[in-house]
Amino acid sequence: MRQAGRYSGMLCGGLSGRSGPHSLPLARIKKIMKKSGDDVKMISGEAPIVFSKACELFIEELTQRSWMVTMQGKRRTLHKDDVASAVIATDIFDFLVNLVDNNSSNSMDNPEDISS
Amino acid sequence: MVDNIGSYSCQKYNFAGASSASGEDGIMKEQDRLLPIANVGRIMKQILPPNAKISKEAKETMQECVSEFISFVTGEASDKCHKEKRKTVNGDDICWALATLGFDDYAEPLKREILS
Repeated sequence: MRQAGRYSGMLCGGLSGRSGPHSLPLARIKKIMKKSGDDVKMISGEAPIVFSKACELFIEELTQRSWMVTMQGKRRTLHKDDVASAVIATDIFDFLVNLVDNNSSNSMDNPEDISS
Repeated sequence: MVDNIGSYSCQKYNFAGASSASGEDGIMKEQDRLLPIANVGRIMKQILPPNAKISKEAKETMQECVSEFISFVTGEASDKCHKEKRKTVNGDDICWALATLGFDDYAEPLKREILS
């Protein structure tokens, strides 16, 4: 089902029955939601769609902030450490602090280490 | 040779030391825990200037961050449902959780789009 535009589709048709292209796979989002806790049993149809947009906004914000760090370093390649710096510098990303910290300490020289 | 071609789908070997809230990652395949790197990378690229480059590790870190974001917000939304004795997490709950956790910038555009 193709829409004229992602957003006009949402506004006109509401969300029921809308199966147009999203930038993120809804089934995967739903899986991740279910994994977040035992309490999460039932998820409405529109919740993954809401998340699809929310995740897009999240990625955009974190990317922009990371890019500012990249530019401060006069570089053109956005690196994992730039993301870590952006996380640390932003209050609402506090929940990610441990995640980026583990990333940087466990994969120092070999980011593609195979660890199981 | 085959391994190289499938390098994007071999994410399950690249743990990158990420710590996840759920303790059952051994059962869930790595790919299921993360959103596809191609989608994540595309959203990142779209927000950056044309001459920007993104390292693979940065995209992988972003994948981890998004999954953590989904878990974090879902957890909050699910708690609310639980308290209100509702079984299904819906779009409004997600919007509420986003606003509660400091992502009110996202909640408003989302609500406007979802309104049906």
